[in-house]
Amino acid sequence: MKPRIAGIVAAMAVVVLLADPSVIHAQRGRGGQTAAARGARLSAPADLTGHWVSVVTEDWRYRMITPPKGEYGSVPLNPEGRKIAEAWDPAKDEATGEQCKAYGAAGIMRIPGRLRFSWENDDTLRIDTDAGTQTRLLYFGAPPAATPGAPLTLQGRSVAQWQTATGRGTRFADTNLSEPGGFLKVVTTQMRPGYLRKNGVPYGSNAVMTEYFEIHQAPSGERYLVVSVVIEDPQHLSQPYVTSTNFRKLPDASGWSPTPCTTK
Amino acid sequence: MSTINPARLSGAFLLSVVAMLFPVPAFAQIDLSGEWSVRSHEDPGQPPLGDYLGIPFNEAGRLRAETTAESIWGTPEYSCRPHSAPHVWRGVGGARIIKEIDPSTRAIAAYHIQHWRSLDRIIYMDGRAHPPAWAPHTWTGFSTGKWVGDTLVVTTTHLKDGYLKRSGPQTSDMYTMTEYISRYGNYLTTFMVVDDPIYLDEPFIQSTTHELTPTLHVPLEPCTASFDENGGNDPHFVPHYLPGKNPYLTEWLETQKWIPEEAAKGGLQTTYPGYQANVTTRSPVVAAKSAVNANERIAAQGPRDGQVHVMPVQRNVYMLIADGSNITASVGPEGVLMVDTGPAAMTEKLLAAINQLAKDVAASPRPNQCLGVSCSTMPFGWSSVYMAGLIGSPAPARPVRYIINTSVSPEHTGGNEKFAKVGFHPRGGGEDAMRIAHQNTFFRMSGASGEKALLPEGGQANETYHREMYKLSEYFNGEPVVVYHVPNAHTDGDSIVYFRHSEVISAGNVFSTVSYPVIDMAKGGTLQGTIDALATIIDLAVPEARSQGGTWIIPGHGRLSDTADVASYRNMLVMIRDRVQDLIKSGMSLQQVKAARPTRDFDGRYGSTTGSWTTEMFIEAVYRSLTK
Repeated sequence: MKPRIAGIVAAMAVVVLLADPSVIHAQRGRGGQTAAARGARLSAPADLTGHWVSVVTEDWRYRMITPPKGEYGSVPLNPEGRKIAEAWDPAKDEATGEQCKAYGAAGIMRIPGRLRFSWENDDTLRIDTDAGTQTRLLYFGAPPAATPGAPLTLQGRSVAQWQTATGRGTRFADTNLSEPGGFLKVVTTQMRPGYLRKNGVPYGSNAVMTEYFEIHQAPSGERYLVVSVVIEDPQHLSQPYVTSTNFRKLPDASGWSPTPCTTK
Repeated sequence: MSTINPARLSGAFLLSVVAMLFPVPAFAQIDLSGEWSVRSHEDPGQPPLGDYLGIPFNEAGRLRAETTAESIWGTPEYSCRPHSAPHVWRGVGGARIIKEIDPSTRAIAAYHIQHWRSLDRIIYMDGRAHPPAWAPHTWTGFSTGKWVGDTLVVTTTHLKDGYLKRSGPQTSDMYTMTEYISRYGNYLTTFMVVDDPIYLDEPFIQSTTHELTPTLHVPLEPCTASFDENGGNDPHFVPHYLPGKNPYLTEWLETQKWIPEEAAKGGLQTTYPGYQANVTTRSPVVAAKSAVNANERIAAQGPRDGQVHVMPVQRNVYMLIADGSNITASVGPEGVLMVDTGPAAMTEKLLAAINQLAKDVAASPRPNQCLGVSCSTMPFGWSSVYMAGLIGSPAPARPVRYIINTSVSPEHTGGNEKFAKVGFHPRGGGEDAMRIAHQNTFFRMSGASGEKALLPEGGQANETYHREMYKLSEYFNGEPVVVYHVPNAHTDGDSIVYFRHSEVISAGNVFSTVSYPVIDMAKGGTLQGTIDALATIIDLAVPEARSQGGTWIIPGHGRLSDTADVASYRNMLVMIRDRVQDLIKSGMSLQQVKAARPTRDFDGRYGSTTGSWTTEMFIEAVYRSLTK
């Protein structure tokens, strides 16, 4: 009897898997096994590759021009953070070769410039910035092991995961069904201390940055990339620092102009 | 020791298989509902007056912002208005998102979004289309939603003119707003594209992040109307600044000296990296595309397409658009009252539309609601067969009884003769429908003023008035109808018509949403008369809530409007009047005034370089009105 029962169970399991798309979906969605097996590049629910330019419609006063010392506006700095911000000395940063402190992972996306997304390999997405000529590597899965004792880096260690949509929309009419989509979640740690803003607003080595990269297509056909960011750094912040930064897709590399870091 | 019963096992498993074949909950879209606190640490608080950083203004947008006074909020028509749609996500108090569930299917029929200073904003998820272009605009607009992945994409049209931010930047009423609402764990990011080519060189984008806060309560800001805030005893005072004479635009830069004054004026290139002082090698960025064709969108409000379009308004009243000209019709059991009769070429189509409307409203077969011999509404001689006959052959609709002309303009009187003939006088007796107009309009219709008659006798008014108002002697279709004379506006014989129970005003040519007002100076029209006529409409009308709806106003041309729309139009005319007056005072000739382009921030919305009423003609009429 037992082999017969096993046969029934196995047959029914196959029926369940075939009949219930949610089971299959669960395997594919939210970074499941199937996606991992196919590689991040092939399983990407959105294509981030290409050139993007910052559109600075928010925080213009803090981003387009380096504000004076002490202008940390709405950054929820705690007393320790304010103390460091008040001690900002750009000349000293230049003199000590620290002119890239605003170009670390937690600051670079807010600096106006162009981004170039490309695949370093099937499981590593690469972001190059022309402002400050920086490179970020986003690893799907475990990043390469850090060398013991190696210093922290400006761009830290970023672990990425696709988040594939789970829903199907409402069911009043076929036109209400969801279009495919998804976004990229990236968690970055082990960053060398740097600046959230160019005027010395600090973050520390224990900061954890969670980013959500999502592309939206406007009715005109223009494509925008929105990077929503939550930075947690209890050493310098009294609460998570939350921003969302917007980019527009460019048709090509025109205007791409790598420039060195600057404190100005 | 327990044993496995194969029959029971397979039965249970089959049940679970059946259950899994209908896995609706597994496909639920991500849940956006809840109370959300603003968490964006960007551009905190209210931007100061004159702060246009990051706004891709065009020339018109900048001038419109610079000449707008923040104290416009104190005018009666705006004091209760909610925050405008682009600003409200950044307003204080957070956001509440509620799901409206269809009880029969449990699908999401709509989302409702509420903010502190907002109306209950509905996002329809049931697949309905956006209304036609001649439908009213509201503060929150008309929104439909669609899922792209787990992001709710919301398209909003039919928005009123308002403000992009609280620092002065304005929006036209022609923009589309597209929002992309994404939930990332307990965070919600709303990315917004404001596409307003009237005032922007490219769509304005902004993203705002909220955090789920179950303990938050989003209250409703009470309306605090303050009628006399600005103008003392003048409820029609319109605060504004003349171009180049707003003294407050750069005040804020005193405390933010690192910001260049030029950048504070906004503009497309200021929003891209190449603008940075220390970057000189980057080429300018080509503007992002707009999906809004403003000219087409404006024209669609009063389509000149050779067709008749019908828009139900309120209670008895309908708006009909006949090749771009509006007709107001009261339709009911006593017949039809028309305000204006459209262009002559449209008469047959308009007649067919009116007849169909009258039949639908007052003479359509309806199911019998009354069963049994003791039915209280039983007609005399009742029998079921007779009743069936009644249903199948109802009494015909009553004909046109009244025609009221708002002016003598041919696009509003072209069907007079025909409609008079097919209609019947309200007192019966075989006479044609009654035609009512102001005396001065009658003089022009009939040639009594010594000019050539503009209408054949059968189309001329046969009932005139010369005082400030005229009342129909009795209710029509169950309500009073009052005609007001608005002197020296479009002409010297203009009338507006007020349906007092339906709460509808038919404005005629003193109000248009598709052009500057036509000021026919040869027939006694003036700019100030037009402004006063609009003030009369504003005085009669009452908004339903939060400065919108309530009394509906049907313009001579264009979309159905409300008090706030008329106020916006009036405000524009006052601003233009004061600007031209200022230029005249400085000694400018007509040509110099035209060259100064005093209407350039409104031309994209109301101006024209072609057709029967161009911007140049309007400026000339304004100039001559003010120098007469």
